[in-house]
Amino acid sequence: MPQPKFKSRTYRRISTKLPGGNSKIHYEKRKPELPKCANCKKELKGIPKLRDYKMRRLGISKKRPERAFGGYLCSECSRQTIKKEARA
Amino acid sequence: MVTLRTQKEIEVITMYEIGRLCIKIAGRDARKKAIIVDILDGFFVLIDGQVRRRKCNIKHLEPLDKVLKIKKNASHSEVVDILKKEGIEVVDTKPKEKKEKTKAVKEAVKTEEKTEKKPAQKKETKTTTEKKKTTKTKK
Repeated sequence: MPQPKFKSRTYRRISTKLPGGNSKIHYEKRKPELPKCANCKKELKGIPKLRDYKMRRLGISKKRPERAFGGYLCSECSRQTIKKEARA
Repeated sequence: MVTLRTQKEIEVITMYEIGRLCIKIAGRDARKKAIIVDILDGFFVLIDGQVRRRKCNIKHLEPLDKVLKIKKNASHSEVVDILKKEGIEVVDTKPKEKKEKTKAVKEAVKTEEKTEKKPAQKKETKTTTEKKKTTKTKK
């Protein structure tokens, strides 16, 4: 029998194969939502979908795109803002 | 060669002449200034300046109102001098120097590890194979 806290769906279930050949269910906390573009509210790309303690292990260049406004605006919105700056 | 269909596309391409100041829109060099050094086939141009010297699509550039005097295929040092007069500073990163000492030390360590590990592994594999053979013959 699983522990009572694992019977609710706050934990996600992962079926794994053990070295002996049996399969077992592992329980983990759910993944967070992806960050969104500040302008158009779409989900940002190039960002790993990991929990906080795993994101801390990554380098800076693996957490967000290396572009200007990377991790804040999506690629299309960053193009538009740079164009506006150039034309002003 | 890319075939040009509409008149708009032809007008856009004529805007990009040699010496035109641009801002790069896409990629890791976005929001940095560059000069067009050469015009290549189709929609492509050669750029240099604050960005890395490279081939670039016109769709990834935004033209500015200035055209500077440069020779065709000018070198990077010439481009930097011209941009300094305009008040645009170019920061060049130093290329990484290969350290021979550390590499030699690493190789020496690797060879030592290999020589130590290899005979030990072979002995283990032999013993396991022999055991299997013996079990098969018994059956």
